Amino acid sequence: MARVVILGAGISGHTAALHLQRHLKKGAEIIVVSPNSNWNWIPSNIWVGVGKMTKDQVTFPLAPIYKRKHIGFRQAKAVAIHPEGSPDNPQGFVDIDYTDPTRSGQEEQLTYDYLIVATGPKLNFAATPGLGPDGNSWSVCTAGHAEQSAAALETIIEALKAGERKTLVIGVGHGTCTCEGAAFEYTFNVEHELRERGVRELADVVYLSNEYDLGDLGVGGMTFAQNGFETSSKMWTESLFRERGVRAILRAHVEKVDPGVIHYEELDGSKHTLDFDFAMLLPPFRGVDMKAYANNGDDITDDLFAPNGFLRVDADYAVKPFEEWTPEDWPKTYQCPRYANVFGVGIAFAPPHAISEPRKSPNGTIISPAPPRTGMPSGVMGRTVALSIAERIRHGDQAPLRTASMAAMGAACIASAGTGLRKGSAAAITMYPIIPDRKRFPGSGRDLTQTSGEIGLSGHWTKLLLHYLFIYKAKARFGWFMIPE
Amino acid sequence: MSDVDRSIAEAPLPTAGTLRRRKGLFYQATRFVAFNFRMMKMVTRAHH
Ligand SMILES: Cc1cc2nc3c(=O)[nH]c(=O)nc-3n(C[C@H](O)[C@H](O)[C@H](O)COP(=O)(O)OP(=O)(O)OC[C@H]3O[C@@H](n4cnc5c(N)ncnc54)[C@H](O)[C@@H]3O)c2cc1C
Repeated sequence: MARVVILGAGISGHTAALHLQRHLKKGAEIIVVSPNSNWNWIPSNIWVGVGKMTKDQVTFPLAPIYKRKHIGFRQAKAVAIHPEGSPDNPQGFVDIDYTDPTRSGQEEQLTYDYLIVATGPKLNFAATPGLGPDGNSWSVCTAGHAEQSAAALETIIEALKAGERKTLVIGVGHGTCTCEGAAFEYTFNVEHELRERGVRELADVVYLSNEYDLGDLGVGGMTFAQNGFETSSKMWTESLFRERGVRAILRAHVEKVDPGVIHYEELDGSKHTLDFDFAMLLPPFRGVDMKAYANNGDDITDDLFAPNGFLRVDADYAVKPFEEWTPEDWPKTYQCPRYANVFGVGIAFAPPHAISEPRKSPNGTIISPAPPRTGMPSGVMGRTVALSIAERIRHGDQAPLRTASMAAMGAACIASAGTGLRKGSAAAITMYPIIPDRKRFPGSGRDLTQTSGEIGLSGHWTKLLLHYLFIYKAKARFGWFMIPE
Repeated sequence: MSDVDRSIAEAPLPTAGTLRRRKGLFYQATRFVAFNFRMMKMVTRAHH
């Protein structure tokens, strides 16, 4: 019986595992490897970070779901891939180290017929000295981090209530960060919370980002058709900043975070400091630490993985200037070029380049967002690769692979700007395609009839609905597969 | 004042009517349906 091993149980890996099981039933052995015992609906970590949800509301244990679905689960982290197997057995295998407390210190070699790498990002706090919960700033990347942020925010609110002035800085902690949308959401959720608690007047809220303009969000900004005009996400976002009294520092690379002081460089090469009382700065992402070996033991990590640690797939990795980037550069099948039975999905695949225009300061510092790979495309990739593998297992290696290029895919993104069934608000955005195609859509590169943005209470309702729907789906409850990615 | 601060200061402010509509339950219920319909159209496209 064919064995499919999936590394990672996040949005993309877990989606792939459930679809494989649904399509192959008992016709294949499916094993998921993940160092965390829990699944986390990461988008709702924003609400944990302002104390509106608890960790338990955004996470649940994976083992019972996998048991019910007859999917094997190893609470372990993958440390090396051997795609050519060993000298006496050509079958590929993965080295895993158990993180399961009951098997702590144990290792295992897991053979596979197909491998899906869905390991998401390594939260690379180390790229910026002093960044992160072990340093001098907070994070909302995991539910645990978000809880710490909520506690720190509560202390600040108490001080504000006592009449002290405070500066809260929220944004990204390195010039090459992605996920600006999450930083944006946390900024406005914190601002909303301060207003709700009656302490907004004494707080200076600052958004600190590597974006060139507000509203870039790592996708090069968007153009919307509104009231007979083409408007930009820049103007739209600036309007929200003005309305809510939030300051912005853009085109910034955070060099280090000392206690209470952020040191940053701007795109013009100038260096600055910013004092803070509370800082939530997202880390840059890179691929998780995994090695790869040939069957003779040679280290082939650099063949399998790009320098940023993400898995090379069927993208065009030739280095070219921004003007020459095309939608065809982006991967379609997520198959590893050298090993046909290895796939990379979600944040784990190496993008060919950014989406926003790349920029460097005169000192050579890169200050521009890396491309986001949000929940919806990550889920779609997981499902697409699962279907490709299921078809190959059923019909043989010649079965055509399914495709899901980000250049042919739209995305919906709801950026929360505050909670509450009556008082909440969110920016609800759709865009098509994610990767701009300036030949098909001259000007902005996106279809104006399908790229839209609006702010309002209904966005919050949608975000809340998605929270419950996706947790229901991830728990593989009745009819889960009818909820699209 | 930095360029960014200036740009924010010059951005259009929503009118009182716009702010009311963003919170109005009836209007928002229609936007909820419209947005979810648009999102579903996009999602179904992504699955083919
Ligand atoms: C704060 C925040 C808010 C966000 N909000 C939104 C939003 O509103 N909408 C949206 O669309 N997207 C949002 N995103 C992005 C979204 O979370 C990601 O797109 C999505 O999680 C990517 O899925 P993934 O499966 O690639 O990675 P992940 O979901 O990160 O999953 C990676 C998995 O791999 C596991 N893993 C790690 N190392 C190993 C290893 N060595 N071996 C095996 N397994 C390993 C991890 O434990 C995890 O299970 C947000 C992200 C953040 C950080």
